[in-house]
Amino acid sequence: MQYNRRNFLKHLGFIYGSLLLYSSCNGNQKSGYRIFTKEEASCLIALCEQIIPADEDPGATDAGVINFIDKQTTLRFPDDEAIFKNGIVALQAFCKEKHNCLFEQLSSVEQVSIMKDMERNKLPGEYWQKANQASFFNLVLRRTMQGFYGSPRHGGNKDYVSYRMMKLDYPLLIGQNRYKDGK
Amino acid sequence: MANKHVNVIIVGAGAGGGVIAKELAVNGLSVILFERGEWPVYDKNANDELISQRIQELGNAFGPDWKRNPRVLISPDGKRTTITPANGGYNHNAACVGSGTVSYGGMAWRFMPEDFKLKSIYGHVEGSSLEDWPVTYDDLEPYYEKAEWEIGVSGDETNPFAGPRNRPYPMPAFEYNREARHLSETCKKMGLHPFPIPMLRNSIPYNGRPRCIRNRTCVGFACPVDAKNGTQNTVIPVAMKTGNCEVKTGCMVANIIIDEKGRARGVEYFDSKGNGKTQTADMVVVAGAATETARLLLNSKSKLHPNGAGNNNDWVGRNLQGHVYTGATGLFDFDILDLTGPGATMAICDFNHHNPGLVGGGMLCTEFFQLPYAFTGNRPSGSARWGKEHKDYQRKYYYRSARLHGPVQEIPNFDSRITVDPTVKDYWGIPVAAMSGGRHPLDRDNCIFLSSKAVEILKEAGAVQVWPRGIPGKVSYSPSGGQHQAGTCRMGNDPKTSVVNPFGQIHEIENLFVADGSVLVTNGGFNPVLTIMAIAYRTGEYIVKNFNSIKSS
Ligand SMILES: Cc1cc2nc3c(=O)[nH]c(=O)nc-3n(C[C@H](O)[C@H](O)[C@H](O)COP(=O)(O)OP(=O)(O)OC[C@H]3O[C@@H](n4cnc5c(N)ncnc54)[C@H](O)[C@@H]3O)c2cc1C
Ligand code: SF4
Repeated sequence: MQYNRRNFLKHLGFIYGSLLLYSSCNGNQKSGYRIFTKEEASCLIALCEQIIPADEDPGATDAGVINFIDKQTTLRFPDDEAIFKNGIVALQAFCKEKHNCLFEQLSSVEQVSIMKDMERNKLPGEYWQKANQASFFNLVLRRTMQGFYGSPRHGGNKDYVSYRMMKLDYPLLIGQNRYKDGK
Repeated sequence: MANKHVNVIIVGAGAGGGVIAKELAVNGLSVILFERGEWPVYDKNANDELISQRIQELGNAFGPDWKRNPRVLISPDGKRTTITPANGGYNHNAACVGSGTVSYGGMAWRFMPEDFKLKSIYGHVEGSSLEDWPVTYDDLEPYYEKAEWEIGVSGDETNPFAGPRNRPYPMPAFEYNREARHLSETCKKMGLHPFPIPMLRNSIPYNGRPRCIRNRTCVGFACPVDAKNGTQNTVIPVAMKTGNCEVKTGCMVANIIIDEKGRARGVEYFDSKGNGKTQTADMVVVAGAATETARLLLNSKSKLHPNGAGNNNDWVGRNLQGHVYTGATGLFDFDILDLTGPGATMAICDFNHHNPGLVGGGMLCTEFFQLPYAFTGNRPSGSARWGKEHKDYQRKYYYRSARLHGPVQEIPNFDSRITVDPTVKDYWGIPVAAMSGGRHPLDRDNCIFLSSKAVEILKEAGAVQVWPRGIPGKVSYSPSGGQHQAGTCRMGNDPKTSVVNPFGQIHEIENLFVADGSVLVTNGGFNPVLTIMAIAYRTGEYIVKNFNSIKSS
């Protein structure tokens, strides 16, 4: 599909607009991420790593799932940015008050138990005024799966970790004789 | 500069449109084939599950463009939600030269003789618009054969429930993979009649293209070796070679021009640069698939057809059908998959008809391979969605899970329909399609029945755990459609209760035809594409024979 000029400019403005916005007001140009601050990223990484933990095979962190989420939210799902950010704020507020530390500093057992509550909308409601906990959880879950199992070209599944884990040969053999323009 | 006048404009270069283009062009008619999408390019999203035509999490490989093509979904309480191809319920197929035939699984089903006369067999069904077709299996048989030979189908004649055929398939059937070998033995032991699925894929070199290398990225993807047969690599290139057919890609047709006398004069469209243009012709054939065809007709208002072309009886857009998929998944304690592509190789038609107490039924077949991301959703309900347990499941069962499922013959109803939204417009400013209504309650009974059969077979095959899938709720309030969308311009003899005649000609507009899934009266218990192609061959032949008389009338 070709873009006409107007649409092309609009599109560009969209992407750069959100980049500029955050690099100027959050000062996260040093975080190494497109939209997340370092702090936000550590929280999100901890969540993703619980969703697909490392064991004898690598987990979400090693697969670069955070890079996938950061990249795809910027490129394709700008509306998700607020869900991620508000969700992280709510989760951290809860952890600080209840456990006096950040989510990523909790033990694995505590993290899992909080996430199970979040999945079922069972964390105390007062922290979740601006975000729906189950929707936040489901978004993190969905993107983690995509980042871990999807094609590496989208920023996750680094070195084909998930394909190797599932004993799939990748990249696939590619044959000749492809078609082009009906010829 | 005005475009040169042509004999026939065809809107949509998918299954039906591609076939029509070839039939007309080789018979000397000048044709313009409009397609809103582009030529498919294999390498663009090679092996990319998240941008395949099945998963579409990050985009759909073969269109339509997410941003430009919204639709509206109307809930039972009348609430309208604007949706894109990224959302469920969009009724999505594809938008490129070849459309669904580029990325389909390529199952090449002839409907059964029974499928054309459901009302005669089962009687009137309350709350439905169930009807017999105005054509029979025997009428369509020669055109099925033409589709099988010209597009290319591999298969054999071992399905005892299939209608009679005059000529064998042009290519031998595909060999079973491990899963099908195992399940076919089980089926035979149970007195059922398994057979290899007929496929629009080359089991041997055919038509100048190689044979299938049986990889696992088939359905949802373009074929890496071009062994899958769609209209983009068969009939459309043949049409182009005649010099009579121009394919105009990136062109969105906005409406059909109908003059004061009620004749089609051409179309207005937006070219790939977004410029509005006019193309005139002696005749127009619409083949935009069931949703877009209805939308285009409804958007084509004129003096004699104030509610849209061919819609004076309010039937355009009605009877929208698709296929509820139902079946079961089983887990085994041995590797049952060998990843010999494309996965689906065996089917049974024992339950398509004559099931006590039911209207219709459906085919059951093995499933196309699921790639790792899709497999994360393949779980018995209640199992862990994440954590170590999730990972263990992925590792343990990827090769040990088998699925038997199939499309249930849907019972059409008048209220499952496409209308045009009064306010929402697409990128070009054209009013978009709105989907509303729900499925007939009998679909659920068929699903319960068919999935219980799948459960039985998988258990008998030694599965250690089996669960049914795809059973709709008691009241199923979402319109049907999807990749198998059909029915919105019903074919019939009576102009009061149908949109086109048995040759796809709009009753009230002699030089306007429909040649895609829209004309199907009922959608069979099978994937519909070969039937769509066969009907398009028949309509094409009719147009060629009658072109001069229609033109001069
Ligand atoms: C992943 C996948 C798997 C499938 N597997 C199977 C299978 O195994 N077996 C089977 O039988 N079927 C299968 N199908 C379904 C099959 O592809 C469809 O039934 C078939 O393509 C429908 O044919 P059609 O002619 O009605 O419409 P389409 O083939 O969809 O063609 C319509 C074309 O018209 C174009 N168009 C629409 N409106 C306009 C407009 N206003 N201006 C310009 N162009 C327009 C569209 O972009 C599209 O290219 C599958 C589909 C998909 C996506
Ligand atoms: S299985 Fe692979 S090689 Fe065979 S037709 Fe499908 S995509 Fe092509």
